[in-house]
Amino acid sequence: MFDRHQDLKTIRRCKRGEEAAFAEILARYRGPIYNLCHRMTRNPEDARDLSQEVFIKVFRLLDRYDEEFAFSSWLFRIATNHCIDHLRRNRMRFLSLEGVTGPDGEEFELQIPHGGPEPDTVLERKEAVQRLEEVIADLPPHYRAITLLRHQQQLSYDEIAEVLQLPLGTVKARIHRARAQIQQMLEARAYDI
Amino acid sequence: MDGYDQRNDRAEGALNCPDCRQELQDYLDGTLDKKRSLGVFLHLRECAACRVEHDALHAVFMRLDTLPELEAPADFDAAVLASVPYAAYRAMEPLRRERVPVFLEDHFLPAWMRARVTRAGGLIAAAGATGAWLAGPGQAWLLVVAAAGAAPEILLRLQWVGRRLVGVRRAEG
Ligand SMILES: [Zn+2]
Repeated sequence: MFDRHQDLKTIRRCKRGEEAAFAEILARYRGPIYNLCHRMTRNPEDARDLSQEVFIKVFRLLDRYDEEFAFSSWLFRIATNHCIDHLRRNRMRFLSLEGVTGPDGEEFELQIPHGGPEPDTVLERKEAVQRLEEVIADLPPHYRAITLLRHQQQLSYDEIAEVLQLPLGTVKARIHRARAQIQQMLEARAYDI
Repeated sequence: MDGYDQRNDRAEGALNCPDCRQELQDYLDGTLDKKRSLGVFLHLRECAACRVEHDALHAVFMRLDTLPELEAPADFDAAVLASVPYAAYRAMEPLRRERVPVFLEDHFLPAWMRARVTRAGGLIAAAGATGAWLAGPGQAWLLVVAAAGAAPEILLRLQWVGRRLVGVRRAEG
Protein backbone atom coordinates (compact mmCIF):
# COMPACT_ATOMS: atom_id res chain seq x y z
CA MET A 1 0.00 0.00 0.00
CA PHE A 2 2.69 2.48 1.01
CA ASP A 3 6.06 2.50 -0.76
CA ARG A 4 8.39 1.20 1.91
CA HIS A 5 11.49 1.71 -0.17
CA GLN A 6 10.66 5.30 -1.05
CA ASP A 7 9.91 5.99 2.62
CA LEU A 8 13.25 4.64 3.75
CA LYS A 9 15.09 6.92 1.35
CA THR A 10 13.11 9.94 2.53
CA ILE A 11 13.60 9.07 6.21
CA ARG A 12 17.35 8.89 5.70
CA ARG A 13 17.23 12.37 4.20
CA CYS A 14 15.22 13.51 7.22
CA LYS A 15 17.93 12.16 9.49
CA ARG A 16 20.44 14.33 7.66
CA GLY A 17 18.27 17.32 8.57
CA GLU A 18 16.92 18.00 5.06
CA GLU A 19 13.86 20.18 5.54
CA ALA A 20 12.22 19.16 2.26
CA ALA A 21 12.26 15.51 3.29
CA PHE A 22 10.05 16.18 6.33
CA ALA A 23 7.59 18.01 4.10
CA GLU A 24 7.56 15.01 1.77
CA ILE A 25 6.67 12.64 4.61
CA LEU A 26 3.89 15.01 5.64
CA ALA A 27 2.53 15.18 2.12
CA ARG A 28 2.48 11.38 1.97
CA TYR A 29 0.98 10.66 5.38
CA ARG A 30 -0.89 13.77 6.50
CA GLY A 31 -4.16 12.51 5.01
CA PRO A 32 -4.03 8.92 6.31
CA ILE A 33 -2.99 9.93 9.84
CA TYR A 34 -5.48 12.80 10.06
CA ASN A 35 -8.28 10.54 8.85
CA LEU A 36 -7.35 7.82 11.32
CA CYS A 37 -7.34 10.31 14.21
CA HIS A 38 -10.59 11.85 13.02
CA ARG A 39 -12.41 8.54 12.82
CA MET A 40 -10.97 7.49 16.16
CA THR A 41 -12.16 10.65 17.93
CA ARG A 42 -15.00 11.98 15.74
CA ASN A 43 -13.82 15.45 16.56
CA PRO A 44 -12.00 17.69 14.03
CA GLU A 45 -10.09 19.69 16.65
CA ASP A 46 -8.93 16.59 18.50
CA ALA A 47 -8.05 15.00 15.17
CA ARG A 48 -5.89 17.95 14.15
CA ASP A 49 -4.13 18.16 17.51
CA LEU A 50 -3.56 14.44 17.79
CA SER A 51 -2.27 13.99 14.26
CA GLN A 52 0.05 16.98 14.56
CA GLU A 53 1.36 15.60 17.84
CA VAL A 54 1.97 12.26 16.15
CA PHE A 55 4.13 13.85 13.46
CA ILE A 56 5.96 16.06 15.94
CA LYS A 57 6.75 13.00 18.04
CA VAL A 58 7.80 10.91 15.05
CA PHE A 59 9.99 13.64 13.64
CA ARG A 60 11.81 13.95 16.96
CA LEU A 61 12.29 10.23 17.42
CA LEU A 62 13.51 9.26 13.96
CA ASP A 63 16.67 7.77 15.44
CA ARG A 64 14.53 5.24 17.27
CA TYR A 65 12.85 4.06 14.09
CA ASP A 66 13.91 0.48 13.36
CA GLU A 67 14.52 0.21 9.62
CA GLU A 68 13.72 -3.50 9.77
CA PHE A 69 10.05 -2.53 9.70
CA ALA A 70 8.10 -0.37 7.30
CA PHE A 71 8.05 3.29 8.31
CA SER A 72 4.30 3.36 7.68
CA SER A 73 3.82 0.58 10.28
CA TRP A 74 5.79 2.52 12.87
CA LEU A 75 3.88 5.70 12.11
CA PHE A 76 0.48 4.00 12.26
CA ARG A 77 1.49 2.29 15.50
CA ILE A 78 2.38 5.59 17.14
CA ALA A 79 -0.80 7.22 15.82
CA THR A 80 -3.02 4.35 16.98
CA ASN A 81 -1.50 4.31 20.45
CA HIS A 82 -1.70 8.08 20.69
CA CYS A 83 -5.41 8.06 19.85
CA ILE A 84 -6.14 5.20 22.26
CA ASP A 85 -4.25 7.01 25.04
CA HIS A 86 -6.24 10.15 24.30
CA LEU A 87 -9.52 8.25 24.47
CA ARG A 88 -8.46 6.67 27.76
CA ARG A 89 -7.57 10.05 29.23
CA ASN A 90 -10.98 11.35 28.27
CA ARG A 91 -12.81 8.43 29.69
CA MET A 92 -14.35 10.47 32.48
CA ARG A 93 -16.80 11.61 29.85
CA PHE A 94 -17.99 8.06 29.63
CA LEU A 95 -19.55 5.67 31.99
CA SER A 96 -17.56 2.56 31.38
CA LEU A 97 -18.96 -0.92 31.85
CA GLU A 98 -16.09 -3.29 32.21
CA GLY A 99 -15.65 -6.99 32.60
CA VAL A 100 -17.10 -8.14 29.31
CA THR A 101 -14.39 -10.31 27.90
CA GLY A 102 -14.18 -11.43 24.30
CA PRO A 103 -13.15 -14.93 23.19
CA ASP A 104 -9.49 -13.98 22.71
CA GLY A 105 -9.29 -12.53 26.18
CA GLU A 106 -9.30 -8.86 25.21
CA GLU A 107 -11.56 -6.81 27.38
CA PHE A 108 -14.59 -5.76 25.41
CA GLU A 109 -15.49 -2.48 26.97
CA LEU A 110 -18.88 -1.00 26.47
CA GLN A 111 -18.87 2.75 26.53
CA ILE A 112 -22.15 4.42 27.08
CA PRO A 113 -22.15 8.17 26.62
CA HIS A 114 -24.06 9.96 29.31
CA GLY A 115 -24.85 13.54 30.10
CA GLY A 116 -25.53 16.17 27.45
CA PRO A 117 -27.70 15.52 24.42
CA GLU A 118 -27.95 11.87 23.45
CA PRO A 119 -26.07 11.63 20.14
CA ASP A 120 -27.97 8.50 19.18
CA THR A 121 -31.41 10.02 18.82
CA VAL A 122 -30.16 13.02 16.88
CA LEU A 123 -27.82 11.29 14.47
CA GLU A 124 -29.96 8.33 13.65
CA ARG A 125 -32.11 10.53 11.48
CA LYS A 126 -29.12 11.72 9.50
CA GLU A 127 -27.10 10.28 6.68
CA ALA A 128 -26.00 6.65 6.52
CA VAL A 129 -22.38 7.76 6.70
CA GLN A 130 -22.98 9.51 9.96
CA ARG A 131 -24.66 6.45 11.38
CA LEU A 132 -21.72 4.33 10.35
CA GLU A 133 -19.26 6.82 11.82
CA GLU A 134 -21.09 6.64 15.07
CA VAL A 135 -21.19 2.87 15.09
CA ILE A 136 -17.43 2.83 14.53
CA ALA A 137 -16.99 5.35 17.32
CA ASP A 138 -18.96 3.10 19.65
CA LEU A 139 -16.58 0.21 19.17
CA PRO A 140 -13.98 -0.21 21.90
CA PRO A 141 -10.88 1.78 20.82
CA HIS A 142 -8.77 -1.25 19.85
CA TYR A 143 -11.52 -2.59 17.61
CA ARG A 144 -12.11 0.83 16.14
CA ALA A 145 -8.43 1.16 15.27
CA ILE A 146 -8.23 -2.25 13.67
CA THR A 147 -11.36 -1.61 11.60
CA LEU A 148 -10.01 1.70 10.35
CA LEU A 149 -6.60 0.27 9.50
CA ARG A 150 -8.27 -2.44 7.45
CA HIS A 151 -11.07 -0.55 5.75
CA GLN A 152 -9.94 3.05 5.66
CA GLN A 153 -6.20 2.60 5.20
CA GLN A 154 -6.70 -0.66 3.28
CA LEU A 155 -3.86 -2.39 5.13
CA SER A 156 -3.59 -6.16 4.80
CA TYR A 157 -3.92 -8.44 7.82
CA ASP A 158 -0.15 -8.89 7.81
CA GLU A 159 0.48 -5.16 7.79
CA ILE A 160 -1.99 -4.64 10.63
CA ALA A 161 -0.24 -7.36 12.62
CA GLU A 162 3.02 -5.45 12.12
CA VAL A 163 1.44 -2.12 13.09
CA LEU A 164 -0.22 -3.42 16.25
CA GLN A 165 2.48 -6.01 17.03
CA LEU A 166 -0.14 -8.69 17.43
CA PRO A 167 -0.25 -12.26 16.11
CA LEU A 168 -2.02 -12.61 12.77
CA GLY A 169 -4.71 -14.84 14.31
CA THR A 170 -5.57 -12.20 16.90
CA VAL A 171 -5.79 -9.51 14.24
CA LYS A 172 -8.14 -11.64 12.18
CA ALA A 173 -10.30 -12.58 15.16
CA ARG A 174 -10.63 -8.94 16.20
CA ILE A 175 -11.49 -7.70 12.72
CA HIS A 176 -14.11 -10.39 12.36
CA ARG A 177 -15.57 -9.52 15.73
CA ALA A 178 -15.52 -5.79 15.00
CA ARG A 179 -17.35 -6.27 11.71
CA ALA A 180 -19.95 -8.54 13.28
CA GLN A 181 -20.44 -5.91 15.96
CA ILE A 182 -20.78 -3.14 13.36
CA GLN A 183 -23.32 -5.18 11.42
CA GLN A 184 -25.36 -5.84 14.56
CA MET A 185 -25.26 -2.22 15.67
CA LEU A 186 -26.25 -0.97 12.21
CA GLU A 187 -29.16 -3.39 12.08
CA ALA A 188 -30.27 -2.54 15.61
CA ARG A 189 -30.19 1.17 14.92
CA ALA A 190 -31.98 0.90 11.60
CA TYR A 191 -35.10 -0.10 13.52
CA ASP A 192 -34.91 2.84 15.89
CA ILE A 193 -35.73 5.48 13.32
CA MET B 1 -33.29 -20.84 12.48
CA ASP B 2 -34.18 -19.41 9.08
CA GLY B 3 -33.72 -22.46 6.91
CA TYR B 4 -30.36 -23.23 8.49
CA ASP B 5 -28.79 -26.34 7.05
CA GLN B 6 -27.43 -28.42 9.92
CA ARG B 7 -26.84 -31.57 7.91
CA ASN B 8 -23.49 -33.19 8.29
CA ASP B 9 -23.60 -35.28 5.15
CA ARG B 10 -21.31 -33.09 3.11
CA ALA B 11 -21.29 -34.49 -0.37
CA GLU B 12 -17.90 -33.92 -1.99
CA GLY B 13 -16.80 -31.22 0.43
CA ALA B 14 -20.02 -29.23 0.11
CA LEU B 15 -20.37 -26.69 2.93
CA ASN B 16 -23.11 -26.67 5.51
CA CYS B 17 -24.55 -23.40 6.79
CA PRO B 18 -22.48 -22.95 9.98
CA ASP B 19 -19.26 -23.54 8.03
CA CYS B 20 -20.37 -21.14 5.34
CA ARG B 21 -21.18 -18.39 7.88
CA GLN B 22 -17.81 -19.02 9.48
CA GLU B 23 -16.02 -18.35 6.21
CA LEU B 24 -18.10 -15.45 4.91
CA GLN B 25 -15.78 -12.70 6.14
CA ASP B 26 -12.69 -14.39 4.73
CA TYR B 27 -14.62 -14.99 1.52
CA LEU B 28 -15.40 -11.28 1.22
CA ASP B 29 -11.83 -10.39 2.21
CA GLY B 30 -10.55 -12.60 -0.58
CA THR B 31 -8.26 -14.48 1.80
CA LEU B 32 -9.75 -17.95 1.32
CA ASP B 33 -7.91 -20.42 -0.85
CA LYS B 34 -9.48 -21.27 -4.19
CA LYS B 35 -11.10 -24.51 -3.11
CA ARG B 36 -12.79 -23.09 -0.01
CA SER B 37 -13.77 -19.95 -1.83
CA LEU B 38 -15.46 -22.08 -4.46
CA GLY B 39 -17.19 -24.05 -1.69
CA VAL B 40 -18.67 -20.86 -0.27
CA PHE B 41 -19.63 -19.64 -3.73
CA LEU B 42 -21.46 -22.87 -4.51
CA HIS B 43 -23.21 -22.94 -1.15
CA LEU B 44 -24.39 -19.36 -1.61
CA ARG B 45 -25.89 -20.29 -4.94
CA GLU B 46 -27.97 -22.99 -3.28
CA CYS B 47 -28.79 -21.44 0.10
CA ALA B 48 -31.02 -18.37 0.35
CA ALA B 49 -30.50 -17.93 4.09
CA CYS B 50 -26.72 -17.68 3.79
CA ARG B 51 -27.11 -15.45 0.76
CA VAL B 52 -29.07 -12.97 2.86
CA GLU B 53 -26.30 -13.04 5.44
CA HIS B 54 -23.68 -12.64 2.72
CA ASP B 55 -25.46 -9.65 1.20
CA ALA B 56 -25.82 -7.96 4.58
CA LEU B 57 -22.16 -8.45 5.37
CA HIS B 58 -21.16 -7.34 1.89
CA ALA B 59 -23.10 -4.12 2.42
CA VAL B 60 -21.18 -3.53 5.66
CA PHE B 61 -17.88 -4.09 3.83
CA MET B 62 -18.92 -1.66 1.10
CA ARG B 63 -19.96 1.00 3.55
CA LEU B 64 -16.74 0.68 5.52
CA ASP B 65 -14.59 0.76 2.39
CA THR B 66 -16.27 3.88 1.09
CA LEU B 67 -16.11 6.05 4.19
CA PRO B 68 -15.39 9.49 2.76
CA GLU B 69 -11.85 10.88 2.99
CA LEU B 70 -11.56 13.92 5.21
CA GLU B 71 -9.32 16.82 4.31
CA ALA B 72 -6.71 17.86 6.86
CA PRO B 73 -6.79 21.57 7.77
CA ALA B 74 -4.86 23.84 5.39
CA ASP B 75 -2.40 25.06 8.02
CA PHE B 76 -1.62 21.54 9.17
CA ASP B 77 2.04 21.31 8.12
CA ALA B 78 3.32 24.62 9.44
CA ALA B 79 2.99 23.78 13.13
CA VAL B 80 4.62 20.40 12.62
CA LEU B 81 7.51 21.60 10.49
CA ALA B 82 8.22 24.47 12.89
CA SER B 83 8.94 21.97 15.66
CA VAL B 84 11.38 19.71 13.79
CA PRO B 85 14.88 19.87 15.32
CA TYR B 86 16.65 20.25 11.96
CA ALA B 87 19.85 21.62 13.50
CA ALA B 88 20.12 18.70 15.90
CA TYR B 89 19.77 16.23 13.04
CA ARG B 90 22.45 18.03 11.03
CA ALA B 91 24.76 18.12 14.02
CA MET B 92 24.24 14.43 14.71
CA GLU B 93 24.78 13.36 11.12
CA PRO B 94 28.58 12.90 11.31
CA LEU B 95 28.21 10.95 14.55
CA ARG B 96 25.60 8.59 13.23
CA ARG B 97 26.96 5.28 12.03
CA GLU B 98 25.90 5.23 8.44
CA ARG B 99 23.78 2.35 7.30
CA VAL B 100 24.48 0.54 4.08
CA PRO B 101 23.20 2.16 0.88
CA VAL B 102 19.57 1.38 0.10
CA PHE B 103 20.39 -0.72 -3.00
CA LEU B 104 22.29 -3.14 -0.76
CA GLU B 105 19.26 -3.69 1.48
CA ASP B 106 17.43 -7.01 1.16
CA HIS B 107 14.10 -5.47 0.35
CA PHE B 108 15.56 -3.48 -2.56
CA LEU B 109 14.83 -6.61 -4.61
CA PRO B 110 11.17 -7.67 -4.99
CA ALA B 111 9.97 -10.41 -2.65
CA TRP B 112 9.31 -12.89 -5.47
CA MET B 113 12.93 -12.61 -6.55
CA ARG B 114 14.17 -13.22 -3.02
CA ALA B 115 11.89 -16.22 -2.60
CA ARG B 116 13.69 -19.52 -2.18
CA VAL B 117 11.50 -21.07 -4.87
CA THR B 118 12.56 -18.49 -7.47
CA ARG B 119 16.22 -18.78 -6.58
CA ALA B 120 16.30 -22.57 -6.50
CA GLY B 121 14.14 -22.87 -9.62
CA GLY B 122 16.32 -20.33 -11.39
CA LEU B 123 19.50 -22.20 -10.53
CA ILE B 124 18.04 -25.49 -11.73
CA ALA B 125 16.97 -23.84 -15.00
CA ALA B 126 20.41 -22.27 -15.33
CA ALA B 127 22.15 -25.60 -14.73
CA GLY B 128 19.89 -27.32 -17.25
CA ALA B 129 20.46 -24.63 -19.86
CA THR B 130 24.23 -24.68 -19.34
CA GLY B 131 24.27 -28.44 -19.66
CA ALA B 132 22.25 -28.29 -22.86
CA TRP B 133 24.53 -25.61 -24.24
CA LEU B 134 27.65 -27.66 -23.52
CA ALA B 135 26.09 -30.80 -25.00
CA GLY B 136 24.51 -29.17 -28.03
CA PRO B 137 25.77 -27.09 -30.95
CA GLY B 138 26.19 -24.03 -28.70
CA GLN B 139 22.89 -22.15 -29.12
CA ALA B 140 23.16 -18.63 -27.71
CA TRP B 141 19.62 -18.52 -26.29
CA LEU B 142 20.52 -21.26 -23.83
CA LEU B 143 23.14 -18.95 -22.36
CA VAL B 144 20.52 -16.22 -22.00
CA VAL B 145 18.27 -18.66 -20.12
CA ALA B 146 21.20 -19.67 -17.93
CA ALA B 147 22.00 -16.04 -17.11
CA ALA B 148 18.37 -15.16 -16.36
CA GLY B 149 17.94 -18.25 -14.20
CA ALA B 150 21.01 -17.55 -12.13
CA ALA B 151 20.34 -13.80 -11.86
CA PRO B 152 18.23 -13.75 -8.63
CA GLU B 153 20.75 -15.83 -6.71
CA ILE B 154 23.70 -13.82 -8.07
CA LEU B 155 22.09 -10.46 -7.25
CA LEU B 156 21.35 -11.55 -3.69
CA ARG B 157 24.92 -12.80 -3.26
CA LEU B 158 26.32 -9.53 -4.65
CA GLN B 159 24.20 -7.56 -2.18
CA TRP B 160 25.53 -9.70 0.61
CA VAL B 161 29.14 -9.19 -0.49
CA GLY B 162 28.46 -5.46 -0.89
CA ARG B 163 27.10 -5.21 2.63
CA ARG B 164 30.15 -6.99 3.99
CA LEU B 165 32.52 -4.71 2.04
CA VAL B 166 30.76 -1.55 3.24
CA GLY B 167 30.74 -2.86 6.79
CA VAL B 168 34.43 -3.82 6.67
CA ARG B 169 35.47 -0.50 5.16
CA ARG B 170 33.52 1.40 7.87
CA ALA B 171 35.13 -0.66 10.59
CA GLU B 172 38.61 0.07 9.23
CA GLY B 173 37.91 3.75 8.70
ZN1 LIG C 1 -26.58 -21.90 4.11
